[in-house]
Amino acid sequence: MATAGKEFLDNLLHTPQSVKDAWLRLGKTPESEREESQATFHNLFLHIHSVRVHLRTLRPTLTFGLGLMAAAGFLLTLVTGILLMVYYKPSTDLAYQSIKDIHFTVSTGRFIRNIHRWAAQLMVLTVLLHMARVFFTASYKKPREFNWLVGLGLLVITLALSFTGYLLPWDQLAYWAITIGSNIANSPRELTDALGVTKWMDPGGFQKRLLLGANYVGQDALIRFYVLHVFLLPLALVTLMSVHFWRIRKDGGLARPEDAPGGLAEWGGEPRAVFEPLATKTYGLMALVKGKRPPVNRGPENTVMSWPHLFWAELAVFMVTVAVTLILSFYFDAPLKELANPAIPENPAKAPWYFLGIQELVSYSAFTGGLLIPVIVLAGLALIPFLDRRAGGEGVWFGSSGERTMFTQSLAFSAVVTVGMLVFTVNYGWLRNWFPSIHQLWIIAINPGSLLVVIFAVWSILVLMRKDSVRLAAVSLFTSFLVSFTILTYFAIVHRGPNWKFYWWPSQWPLH
Amino acid sequence: MKDPSRLYRWILLGASVATTAYLIGAAVHENYLEQWRGIQNEYREILRAKATDARGRELLAKFRIELKQASVPGLNAVDRCVTCHNGIDDPRMTDVPQPHRAHPGHILDRHPVDRFGCTVCHHGQGAATNFRDAKAEDVFWDYPLLPPEMTEATCATCHDPDKLPAEQVPLLREGKRLYAEKGCGACHKLGGRGGTLGPSLESEGAKTRHELIMSNLAPPYTTWHWQEVHFRDPGGIVPASQMRNPTVIPSGALALTVYMLSQWKRDIPESYLAPDKIEQKFQALHPTPLSGEQVYQQYCSACHGNGAYSRWDKKFNRFVPAIRGAVLVASANLDYFVTNISQGRPGTQMPAWQQHAGGLMPAEVNAVAEYLRGGVPAPQALQLLNLRGDSTRGGSLFLKNCAGCHGVTGRGGIAPEVGNPVFQQAASDGFIIRTIRFGRIGTAMPAFQRAESPVLSEQDIADLLACLRGFAATPHAPAAPIAHPPLSSGAQP
Amino acid sequence: MSRLDPPGVNRRSFLSLASLGSLVAALGTAAAGILRLPNPGVLPGPARRFKPGSPEEFAVGSETPFAEQNLVLFHDSEGFYAVSTTCTHLGCSVGRSQEGFACPCHGSRFDSNGKVIGGPAPRPLPWLEVSRAADGTLVVNADSEVPEGTRYRV
Repeated sequence: MATAGKEFLDNLLHTPQSVKDAWLRLGKTPESEREESQATFHNLFLHIHSVRVHLRTLRPTLTFGLGLMAAAGFLLTLVTGILLMVYYKPSTDLAYQSIKDIHFTVSTGRFIRNIHRWAAQLMVLTVLLHMARVFFTASYKKPREFNWLVGLGLLVITLALSFTGYLLPWDQLAYWAITIGSNIANSPRELTDALGVTKWMDPGGFQKRLLLGANYVGQDALIRFYVLHVFLLPLALVTLMSVHFWRIRKDGGLARPEDAPGGLAEWGGEPRAVFEPLATKTYGLMALVKGKRPPVNRGPENTVMSWPHLFWAELAVFMVTVAVTLILSFYFDAPLKELANPAIPENPAKAPWYFLGIQELVSYSAFTGGLLIPVIVLAGLALIPFLDRRAGGEGVWFGSSGERTMFTQSLAFSAVVTVGMLVFTVNYGWLRNWFPSIHQLWIIAINPGSLLVVIFAVWSILVLMRKDSVRLAAVSLFTSFLVSFTILTYFAIVHRGPNWKFYWWPSQWPLH
Repeated sequence: MKDPSRLYRWILLGASVATTAYLIGAAVHENYLEQWRGIQNEYREILRAKATDARGRELLAKFRIELKQASVPGLNAVDRCVTCHNGIDDPRMTDVPQPHRAHPGHILDRHPVDRFGCTVCHHGQGAATNFRDAKAEDVFWDYPLLPPEMTEATCATCHDPDKLPAEQVPLLREGKRLYAEKGCGACHKLGGRGGTLGPSLESEGAKTRHELIMSNLAPPYTTWHWQEVHFRDPGGIVPASQMRNPTVIPSGALALTVYMLSQWKRDIPESYLAPDKIEQKFQALHPTPLSGEQVYQQYCSACHGNGAYSRWDKKFNRFVPAIRGAVLVASANLDYFVTNISQGRPGTQMPAWQQHAGGLMPAEVNAVAEYLRGGVPAPQALQLLNLRGDSTRGGSLFLKNCAGCHGVTGRGGIAPEVGNPVFQQAASDGFIIRTIRFGRIGTAMPAFQRAESPVLSEQDIADLLACLRGFAATPHAPAAPIAHPPLSSGAQP
Repeated sequence: MSRLDPPGVNRRSFLSLASLGSLVAALGTAAAGILRLPNPGVLPGPARRFKPGSPEEFAVGSETPFAEQNLVLFHDSEGFYAVSTTCTHLGCSVGRSQEGFACPCHGSRFDSNGKVIGGPAPRPLPWLEVSRAADGTLVVNADSEVPEGTRYRV
C-alpha cells in the first residue's frame, strides 16, 4: 500500500516528463548525428525526408523553394478554406450574401478570404514556375520521369481547384467565367457540328452536362463545383502530393549531377568519419539494388544532416510564403462583383489571369484554343521525360551544353512570332473577317493559336535535326510555349477590353 | 565552410517577424480602426452629453460599441446601416450632425427600422459596414443609395401613390401626371398598356447600371443619375434615341425619374403592403375605362399632336396623318376608327391598341374613336400678318422648304404650281398663310407651324408670302431673285 | 512446378487471369454506374417553350428582346421570326449593335440575321421555331432550330 502510494505520487509528479517522452520519441533536442537522424526518422511528418541531405539541395538558387512554396500555398488555402466553409452556403440564393457577410461582419473573415484568394494565386504561380525550374534543370530525367507526370497531374488539379473556386461567390465574375468555361467543355461541338455528327456523337454536350448538371449555370452547377472544390479535388491533390513527395525521397532526393563533388561536408570544423569497410559486413546488396557503389571508403558524399539544416530551409520558405500572402491580403481585397445576373454578361468577362492566355486562344477558336491546344501541350509535357532519355545536365540550370544559347534564341524567336501574330490579328482580323461564309473546319484548323503551335513545332524539329539533341529540341519547344503563354496572358490582361477589343490601357475602356 | 542553414534562419526570422507584424496589423485594423468604431465612440459622447435625465442615463449605460443590424427576413434584408446611424430612432437626436441624427419626419413611427430595415426604401448595400460600400456608387452593387429627394420612389413598393398625402410623394405624383400628360404611353408600355416603339418601362426601376448606356454620362454612374440626365437630353445619353424631348423643366426630369424608379415589381410579402396597394393591384386587374380624351392624351397625342393636322416627323421620316380633321371625320365611320385603332397600321409606327396588344379596353377604343369623331378642336383664329415680307429671304426659305415639291420657281412638281396666275388670283393671303401654317389635310402638304414644334416663324411665313406673290409678277421668266438667292443672308428656320 | 516448365496456360494461371479479369470487369461496371449518376434523366431548368404574347402585340418592323429567354422576336412584313441571342461561341448573351449583334465576351459579330461576320463564333445565331398555340398566342421553341430566313406568317 505504502509503496503503491509512493509510486502513484512519483508517477503523478513525473507525468509531464513521461507524456513528453511518450510523445517525442527522442524526448530532447538531438545532440549527436545519431540523435539527429532519429529525430528525422522517427517522426511521421519528418520521416518523408532522408536523414542527410546533399549540400546542393540547400542552395537557394537551385530551386528557389518553388515546389515548397506551392505546397505552403496549398496548406494556407486548406486552412483558410475550411474556415470559410463555416460560413459559406452553397446555394444560389444564399452564396453571395454569405460572402458579403464574410467580408463585412465575420471577425477576421475578410482577411481569411483574402488569404484564401492570394494563397491560391500564389500556388498557381509557383506550381507553374516550379515546373519551369524542374524542366530547365533537367530534373525530370531518369529515375524521376514518373514524378514529372505526377507533377503534371498536380498542375491540372491546382488549376481545376482554382477554376471551381471561381464559381462559389456567385457574383457576375463567377457566373460568366463559368458560363464560358463550361462552354469550352462543350466546344468539341464546334468540331462535331462542323462535321455534322453532333446528333450521333456529342462529347461536348456530355462534358458540359457532367460539369453543370443542366444546360445552364444554376444551382446544380454550384453544388457540383462546391463538392469538387471542397472535397474531391483537394482529396486528389493531397493524394498526388503525397506520392510526389514520397517519390522525391525514393528517387534519391533532388536531381544532381553524377559528378557532384563528393567528400565530406566539413562544417563546424569537425572532420566526419569516412565509412570504413567492416569485415563483418557485406556491401554488395545495396550496390545491386541501387546500381550504385556503396559509399565504402568514401565520405557520405557532400551531405549534411537534414535535422536541422533542411528543416530550417523548409521553415524559412514556408514562412516567406505565409508572409507574402499575408502582406498581399492586408492591402488587396479579393474581388466580388454584383450578384450573378444571367441576363447581363460581364463585359469584358475575363477568366482568372492564369487562364487568360487560353482565353485569348479561345477568342480565335473555342475548340482549338480551349481544348485542343491545352491537350496537345499537356501531352507534349507528359512525353518530355520519355523522349529525352539521354543522361546529363540533371540538377543544373541549363546543364548540358548549348542550352542557355538555345533558351535565349527560342525566347527571342517565340516572342517575335507571338507578338507578330497578335499584331497581325488585331490589325487585320482572321479568316472569318475576310471570308464570312468560310467553313468552320478551316478556322478550327487554321487560326493564330494553331499556327503558333505549328511554328513552334517546326522550330523545335529544326533544332532536333541541326543540333542532334532531343534535350535542345525540348528546351526550344518548352521555352517557346512558356514565352508565348506569358505574352498571351499579358496581352489578354492588359490589352483586351469590352467586346474583347484591343485597347492600349484599361483606362480607355468605354463604359457600358 | 559556413553554416549551410544560416541564411535560412535569417530568412525565417524576417518572414516570421513580418507575418506577426501583419497579423497584429490586421487585428488592430479590424478591432480599433474600423470607421464605425470611431462613429460609435462619437455617438457615445453625444449620448453622454444628453444623459441629463434617468432615461438618458439608461440609454447611455446600455450603449455598446458593436456591429448592429436590422434583420428583416421578410424583405430578405440584413441592414447594417444602424451600425453608424445609431440615433436613427432617438427623437432627441435632431440637433446632432450626421450620421448620428434621427430620421426626419414621422416616417419611422409607422415604419420601424426593426421591421422594415433601411434598404427597402433607400436602396444601397445594407450588408456593408462602411460609408463607401453602403452608398455603393463606385463599388460593385446593383442598387446604390438613392438621393434623399428621390427616395419617395420606393414608397410605391407598398403604397398606391395616389392614396398617399400629396405632400409626402410630390414628385411621384407629378411624374405620374407628366407621364400621362406627355403621352409617354404612345411608345412605352407601362402597367400592361402602351406602345412598342420604345422600350417597355414595366420594370424600369429594377434595372441595373449595366442595362443602360453609361458612356455619355458624367459620374456617378448610377441608374437614378442616368434617368435624370436622360430626361433632360435623351439624345445626349443614347445617341440613337428616337425619344421626343418630353420635358424642359428640371423638376419635370426629376419627377419623371422618380416615377421611373418606382416601377419595380418587387416580391414583397403581403403583410408589408398597405391596404391601398392591394386595392391598387386589384384595380390594375379590373381597371375603370379612361375617357376618350384621356386615352387620346396618354396614348395618341405624342405622335399625332392635337390630331387636327398632319405633320412631317423627322424621326419617323414620314408623315403622321391628321386623325381629327374634318375631311377624315366626314369620310370615315366609327368602325373605320375602331378597326384602325384596334389593329394598328402594319408597316407603320402605328401599333395595335386592342386589349391583348396595346392594352386598351374595347370600351376605351370606342371612347377614343368617338372622341376623334367628335372633330377638330375649334379652329385657331387666323391672324393676318402685319409683318412686311422680304421676298429675297423668302426665296431662300422657299428653296429650302417648298421647292422639293412645288418646283424651284413654283412651277409645280408633285405639288401644285403655286406660281400659276389662277392660283395667285384665287388664293387669298389668309388661305396661303393658313396652308403653310397648318398644312393641307389629306395631302402631303405638312404643317409648318404646329404649336408643338414650329418649323417656320411668323416672319418666315411673311417672307414666304412675299416670295410667292413675286412668282405672279414674273409668270414666264424664271424669277430672278430666286435663281440666285442670297443664301448667306438667309435665316435658318 | 518449376521455371523450366514450358510456358502455357495452366489451371493456376488461368485462375489468376480469370479472377483479375473479373475484378477489372466489376470495377469497370461500377465506374460506369458512377459516371451515369451525374447525368440526370431530365435536365432541370425553365421550360424551353416560351409564349411571348399574341401576334397583334408586335408591330410590323418591331423587334422585341426577351433577355430572360435570350432571344429577340422580330416581326417584319414577311412574318415573325425569333433569333437566339446566346452566342454560339461560348454562350454569352450577345447585345444589339449597329451591324446586328455583338458578343461582349470574345468579340464575335453577327449581322441582324444572325450570320457571323467576325470573331470566333463557329455558327450563326440560331433561328428558333415560331408557331402559334391553340389560344392564338405566339410560341417560341428554344429547342427547335429552323433554317435562317424561315418566317412564321400569322
